[in-house]
Amino acid sequence: MNRMVPLAILALAILAFATLMLVIAPAIQIRSEAPTPGLKPYTAQQLRGRTQYVAQGCIYCHSQQPRSIDQAPDAERGWGRASVASDYAYDRPHLLGTMRTGPDLFNVGARLPSRGWHLTHLYQPRAIFGWSIMPAYPYLFERKEHAEPGDVVIILPADRAPKKGVIVAKREALDLVAYLQSLDHTFPAPTRAVRDDGYAEKGEPR
Amino acid sequence: MESFEPYEEFKPIPLPVLIIAVALALWGVFTLLDNGKAVTVGRAERSDQIADQHANRQNGAELFVSRCATCHQPNGSGVEGAIPPLASSPFLKASPEVAMHILLNGIDGPIRVGDATFEGHMPSFASVLSDADIVRLVTHVRGTFADRHDLLTEGDVATARLLAGRRGAWQGGQEIAARLDASLGPQPPMSSATQAAIDPIAQKLVSQGNGQTWACASCHGMRGQGSASVPRLAGLPAAYIAKQLGDYVTGKRRNETMQLVARTLKPQDMRRIGDYYSVMRAPSNARASLGGDLVRGERLVLDGDWARGLPSCVSCHGPSTFGVAPSFPALSAQHPEYTAAQLTAWVSGTRDNSTGRLMNGIAARLNDADRRAVADYLATLPPVPAPATRGRTNGK
Amino acid sequence: MESEERERVEGGEERARPLMGRGVRTAIIAIGGGAALFVIASLAFDAGIFSDRGEVPMSPDVAQAQMFQPPAETSIPDGPAGDAVRRGQAIFVNTASNAGDFVGNGVACASCHLDSGRRANSAPMWAAWVAYPKYRSKNKQINTMEDRIKGCFTYSMNAQASKSGGPPPAGHAVYKDLETYMHWLATGAPTGANMPGAGYPTLEKTSLGYEPARGQKVFVAKCAACHGADGAGQLDINGRIVFPPLWGPNSFNWGAGMARVNTAAGFIKANMPLGQGSSLTDQQAWDVAAYIDSQERPKDPRQTGSIEENAKANHGGDSYYGKRIDGRLVGVGTP
Repeated sequence: MNRMVPLAILALAILAFATLMLVIAPAIQIRSEAPTPGLKPYTAQQLRGRTQYVAQGCIYCHSQQPRSIDQAPDAERGWGRASVASDYAYDRPHLLGTMRTGPDLFNVGARLPSRGWHLTHLYQPRAIFGWSIMPAYPYLFERKEHAEPGDVVIILPADRAPKKGVIVAKREALDLVAYLQSLDHTFPAPTRAVRDDGYAEKGEPR
Repeated sequence: MESFEPYEEFKPIPLPVLIIAVALALWGVFTLLDNGKAVTVGRAERSDQIADQHANRQNGAELFVSRCATCHQPNGSGVEGAIPPLASSPFLKASPEVAMHILLNGIDGPIRVGDATFEGHMPSFASVLSDADIVRLVTHVRGTFADRHDLLTEGDVATARLLAGRRGAWQGGQEIAARLDASLGPQPPMSSATQAAIDPIAQKLVSQGNGQTWACASCHGMRGQGSASVPRLAGLPAAYIAKQLGDYVTGKRRNETMQLVARTLKPQDMRRIGDYYSVMRAPSNARASLGGDLVRGERLVLDGDWARGLPSCVSCHGPSTFGVAPSFPALSAQHPEYTAAQLTAWVSGTRDNSTGRLMNGIAARLNDADRRAVADYLATLPPVPAPATRGRTNGK
Repeated sequence: MESEERERVEGGEERARPLMGRGVRTAIIAIGGGAALFVIASLAFDAGIFSDRGEVPMSPDVAQAQMFQPPAETSIPDGPAGDAVRRGQAIFVNTASNAGDFVGNGVACASCHLDSGRRANSAPMWAAWVAYPKYRSKNKQINTMEDRIKGCFTYSMNAQASKSGGPPPAGHAVYKDLETYMHWLATGAPTGANMPGAGYPTLEKTSLGYEPARGQKVFVAKCAACHGADGAGQLDINGRIVFPPLWGPNSFNWGAGMARVNTAAGFIKANMPLGQGSSLTDQQAWDVAAYIDSQERPKDPRQTGSIEENAKANHGGDSYYGKRIDGRLVGVGTP
């Protein structure tokens, strides 16, 4: 080891270059992005629901980043147009997700707008989809003898309903569903939006 | 110093490593350039999406061909006994506001043009044409077929559009003459067929559910417009809706959510829901969103592709894709995600309930791009002008 | 397993069992090479080098694609000739609107000549154009194309019930426009040649013969959803004809070619149900044609005396005209 100094300089230079390209440059590119026109900030309830989304670990199985039709048939699945950086303007931190064990949720509010449906599905996914592998979240709900005023009673098929009383949603469940219903990015993306357009030319013939 | 540090001889970098390094660098540059092209294409796609929603770039003649000619015919002759001719139509000779109001609201009632009376069901174009489109279209149509050239402004259309949202379709020529222009001459009155009274039981089912299942409107919307993969139901034939609900129960059509819903409905509920939605007129909220080729879509919908054994959509779903009761649903203004998903479902077998299994064969001959093209084109069409009276239901 | 082998090799067993070492090396190279080839091949497949992925098999209509192809609609020329082609096409597709004075029912040219007269085996216009003038036994004289079109208006479009009470008079613009359209469709077609796909295919008689009663079952199962249980066709919400009427007052009259069972059977076999051509058996096609053509329709305009006389003069072969079904005389016409 008789060329310590040049070696160290080279190593640092490579590190600096990588940081510049992978951290600093993207940050500069994204920080000037205004929210996509049509994107609404979250309400207090939706923000609480977002916390639930994180706490319940939804992100481990659900992504929030539909890809363009040139990359995957996400739009045909009803998952919406390809997302762009400015769609995440109010998400700190973003909840892009990396796994698609379940479907993408970026537009779940558009394709599944029903609160009642979501509550049933969170309480017991297999009440709707017999084959679903999603975990149930019964602890976001409680059983009561009678629903009190203001309670949201969830609808269950006969074979899943409790023998006595009713299942009502706790506040956490209602918050989470409010957040899911807010996930609706069906407005168009700005032309010069920042996103990975790789493979876009492969769409031919369109 | 006992230890001897071995002398390192200078060795040049081996040639293969150099070659690999140069190749990697070239690859990197190529990828950057290639990506530049992709970015251009991606931007063009996004700008198309915006353009489709806000400012259609067609001129008046092109708008006429793509929006009016399937019914009124390219030469404006109309269709004997069904669609009024545009040439020599008193509605076009009147002030430009008349044509504008008709485009914005549509017509649902009898009108008289020349010597003939037409039972008009014209769609409202308010949800599919921009203010500028309507100005260009009205100018072109009146100039071509009535030799009238006084102009309309976008401001007029914007003002009228605000009012248009609050009222339904024009109830025939008599109402248009009374409200807009008395010079239209005598127009036939609305037929005595009673306006369909809203069925309170169906309305409760739709808006609140039956206690055992979710309300229809919680997904399909209060106006039956649907969204994304939730289909639009407004204006579909009553018997078609009832049949689909029945088919969910028997499993001929598979959709877990709808199967659960349909099992809680009695057959008479299904018919009530069908009747309820079939007379509903709702603006379109569908947008071409799958990146389909609209020109190809238009060709497939209007002419088919006989080289592949594909008949046109309109040969069964009607010349304006407004459906033919009871077997053939309306297709216009349907959400493209839903249409494309159904075309896939016919092939995969999750849906197997079409008349004579016609759709199975047709869907199998559409490739991915065609599916998206058809779905996107249908989404650009105006919503079904559902006849609002039960006396005159779909077809026969 | 692999590392075990290597250890043994390095352990000096190579000398003891030289063949074993060489075998392992060959195996490693073979597996590695195979994997590399697989990766390259799948990359090539992904790039679409081997096949056209995503292309739908064209099997249903290979036969159609191999027949004469008329010019594309986009290639209609500009100018007066092109305008005539467009007018002709408009008449062809929407006869009741564009030649309304001469149409007495709910049938258009394109009702029987599918795909605007382009479809092979549904009497395409590109094949008809190059076959005229010709001698027809129907009227025992040389027919020009105008004579032939006049026949269509007289019988298939039942001109006797139209506003003008008859077909367009000789030399009428309707003929000129329709002929211009046909001439353009036949661009490049060989005159007088026997073109594959011309007319309707001739269907061999089946051993059972044909029978309306059997045909009724086929009709209910395969046709009624579109053409209506009463054969009167169906309209859309605006009263436009979507599915043409097959019998009854709004259908073609007894003089039309389609009123003959053999003609109808050939058309049905090749083209019906729409989009599912050739899906019916020959027997089904014959039977359902017999059912349709045994129903009552507008009277034959050639009839001057009794039905029996007209049957003898103009109806032979596979027609129910002038015969009795369950005691009902067929051919009396509709009110």
